Amino acid sequence: MPGMNSGVNVNDPTVIAAFKSALLHQGLIALLIFGLLGLTWVTVRAWWPAAAQPGEHTGPAGPSAATVEPSWRQVLRIGFGLLWVFDGILQAQPKMAIGLPSQVIEPTAASSPHWVQHLVNWAGTTWSYHPMQAGAAAVWIQIGIGIWLVAAPLGRWSRLAGLVSVGWGLVVWVFGESFGGVFAPGLTWLFGAPGAVLIYAVAGALIALPERVWHDPRLGQAILSGLGLFLVAMAVLQAWPGRGFWQGISHGQRGTLAGMTHDMAQTPQPGFLSALVSAFTRFDEAHGFAVNLFAVAALAAIGAAFLTGQRQLVRPALIAFTVLCLADWVLIEDFGIFGGLGTDPNSMIPFVLLAVGGYLALAPAPEPATEPAPASPAATAVGWRDRVRPASLRRSVATASLGTVASVGALGLIILGAAPMAAAQASRNADPILAESIAGSSAALNFPAKGFQLTDQHGRTVSLASLRGKVVLLTFLDPVCTSDCPLIAQEFRAAGQLLGATSKQVELVAVVTNPVYHQVTDVQAFDRQEQLNQVPNWLYLTGSVPQLQQVWKDYHMTAEILPAGSMIAHQDVAYVIDAAGHVRQVLNTDPGPGTTATKSSFSVLLADAARQALRSS
Amino acid sequence: MTRRTGLVSVLLAGTVLAAGCGSAAHQPGAAAGPVRPPSLSTSLVTTTGTWAVAVMGGSAAEHNNFWQLFVRPAATGKWRLATPPGVASNGGLVVASPGAGSLVAGFRPSQDLSFSPLATTHDNGAAWRPGLLDAALADVPDALAAAPGGSHLLALLASGGAELSGPGGTGWAKLATRRTLAASAAGRRCGPARLTAAAFSPAGAPLLAANCTHPRTAGIFAYTGGTWHPAGPTLPATYAHQNVSVLRLTTTAGTTTALLAAGAGSAARLLAAWSTGSGTHWALSPPLPLRGAGLTSASSGPGGAVAVVLTGNHAQAITGPAGTWQPLPPLPPGTATLAPEPAGGWDALAVHSTRLSIWQLPPGHTGWTATQTISVFIQFGSSG
Repeated sequence: MPGMNSGVNVNDPTVIAAFKSALLHQGLIALLIFGLLGLTWVTVRAWWPAAAQPGEHTGPAGPSAATVEPSWRQVLRIGFGLLWVFDGILQAQPKMAIGLPSQVIEPTAASSPHWVQHLVNWAGTTWSYHPMQAGAAAVWIQIGIGIWLVAAPLGRWSRLAGLVSVGWGLVVWVFGESFGGVFAPGLTWLFGAPGAVLIYAVAGALIALPERVWHDPRLGQAILSGLGLFLVAMAVLQAWPGRGFWQGISHGQRGTLAGMTHDMAQTPQPGFLSALVSAFTRFDEAHGFAVNLFAVAALAAIGAAFLTGQRQLVRPALIAFTVLCLADWVLIEDFGIFGGLGTDPNSMIPFVLLAVGGYLALAPAPEPATEPAPASPAATAVGWRDRVRPASLRRSVATASLGTVASVGALGLIILGAAPMAAAQASRNADPILAESIAGSSAALNFPAKGFQLTDQHGRTVSLASLRGKVVLLTFLDPVCTSDCPLIAQEFRAAGQLLGATSKQVELVAVVTNPVYHQVTDVQAFDRQEQLNQVPNWLYLTGSVPQLQQVWKDYHMTAEILPAGSMIAHQDVAYVIDAAGHVRQVLNTDPGPGTTATKSSFSVLLADAARQALRSS
Repeated sequence: MTRRTGLVSVLLAGTVLAAGCGSAAHQPGAAAGPVRPPSLSTSLVTTTGTWAVAVMGGSAAEHNNFWQLFVRPAATGKWRLATPPGVASNGGLVVASPGAGSLVAGFRPSQDLSFSPLATTHDNGAAWRPGLLDAALADVPDALAAAPGGSHLLALLASGGAELSGPGGTGWAKLATRRTLAASAAGRRCGPARLTAAAFSPAGAPLLAANCTHPRTAGIFAYTGGTWHPAGPTLPATYAHQNVSVLRLTTTAGTTTALLAAGAGSAARLLAAWSTGSGTHWALSPPLPLRGAGLTSASSGPGGAVAVVLTGNHAQAITGPAGTWQPLPPLPPGTATLAPEPAGGWDALAVHSTRLSIWQLPPGHTGWTATQTISVFIQFGSSG
């Protein structure tokens, strides 16, 4: 999937250090937000105790004191809130900033249709351009949503948390989980269909429901019916022939389920977990038909029981469903976090929470108090002008509950993550840290550059001395190279564009590094291929082999002819030469895999180096 | 029974029915398309030696496959590696002989390289002179042709057109595209779907081959007098309803040899055709039924000999216009292509990763004999 993978090693210490640093800085800001909010709340309550009236602890958006949150909503709100917090913590894994597109998103999308891959590739590329900001944003947004859900039990703030959970859940489901793989072959409930985060979104939608439906027993029936219908459909899919689930092992080839669990057992994890999954794999290999028959029957029976909506049937079905989910979670999903770079505990825990919520919603709920609560001054305040008056604000803060304060803090946390990401996305250029992590950084240098006199792509003689007064970005390219050189040339061209008007003071220069193909026609063909023939400050220089060899020697280059159909071997280097003819930096320009993100990143690095040399000239 | 219970029952019944079909297996369909063109693996005979192209490598990864050129100089009779230096060969190699023992090799582009460097040798690969085609050669073994005497080169491009060089292989100019060929009087009788091969006639006229959409038409065209003329063989009426593909078109020692495929699927047949003139008179071989086999390599030799390597390690050869297709003994494993022996018979070039094994089949023998092994040092990863 071109463009998605940043091409940077996920264990790269430069990137990991930068990600940790970003998280640390933002974590300190998060603490500051919560500290300031807490301090303000305590201070206001201490200084103006009269403002804090008993029973008005939910703030301006809160419901009446008689409102009681039903148990099903508590389960969903707190359960999914804790899941979001856990997911946020998983997002803080050091490898996540670089690894998420290539190790999570790309494999998930690989078997999906082209249009899904295209959509997901766009998101992965966007992430790869600014991995630090994107990685940190995912951490704080998810922790923020989680805290918000847990902290806000009632009122508009609570419902808003549910809606935010829906929104972010759908974003993650579409771009992070490739629609949960529902458009890919091999879809099965056992592996997590329809995607864990879609269940988060469903739960968020239920949390966001208005209070008037909280106590309606039809809500529980609707939740269980939906879940039951889904499980029966999954049973049909599980039973569908030709999908490899009925075979444990056939002609030495593992069936779909055994193949999946076999792969899961190979990933790094504690030994006893690997042993458990391996044992299940062996069992499925030996009894594939029976395992699938059990799965089909269990899903169908539990789904059918849920569909009836009758408590006496739902209760045992719920117990069976919980056991089935836990078994699947351990034996097949490998807890969701060990099969690679885990971003969530997969779908089974959310399924159990949803089913428990649905079951609890079936129960007759206690009627809310009928007597109207006394209207608070805050509730009767009309218009935003009244609300922002100091006295009104003071009253709002003083009457706010701890949960409301925590909710505001959580919102601040979400903004803390989202704002830098949004600001970074405003730039079309990738973070130069990608290039630095691939190529390393150059020490500041200052020594005279060795002179040369060669022929450019137009047949004109060009010497380094003739370029005095301009910053020279000098590199070495093979005109018939198939990989690195075209990428470096594109990065040079893009760097020239980034320099804008300043590019008139910069000369982009390449010297041929092929002792066989070094004719002017060769460099002209290369220029046409890379669309460099339209770049006014581009010079591709060549000469006789002795002339070229002298330049290679002066700039510590080797150009080795390799046998048997290999390219010429040479170093990927760029010299940054200031207007006075002094070398100021030597950059490693090995472009790595040359994704759109790394190409952009190298261009930014080269342009920055040219600007620095201009300033120091 | 309530509505809800009824719905549940229907769903359960559906599940059970689907489960009952659980052991059904997917049956892949049989291939029924036209014969696919052979790979770039082939051989070529010049006055001073025999050349062969084969792909070698360590994995299925595209950039770890390196195409190699081997030569068996007439003076030594031993094969050796002769891949031209300076360019990655991962995209493929095509070769053409301008005569007098010279050879031109063209590199097909790979990865980010979009044009085709060329290399010419006059001494069996001891020294190479670089050249350039500022376009991508097509992925067919006859993408490059040299006029007798080496005055011009003709290149079939990946973009679907053809370019003709000036003297010395420089100054390339567009000669034709599929569209311009289709618009010509000769092309209208063929309805060319795709250009498949380039060659020169023994008299030095550029020849282009195409797959025709009109049945019974072998799409070979000669460029003379500034226009295209039909120059292919006329096929018997038995091919009246069959489309014909031109798989190979080569000219060696005054004879133009074409390898044709008629029909599709298991009914497809191969035909060899020979012409010694401008393409007005052709001799046709008897048909070789493929019976579902695929063509992996095709080579030609002196006197119009043709050998084809088929899937399943089978091979067939025909000695020339007067001959008939004869099966060769089962090929050694890994055979990439066949190369003609100077005294008749064939060499099989078998590839196992970085090792090339040469097996010989002298005339009249019934089995292959291993004669030589060449280990090629490949710098894996050098072009990735």
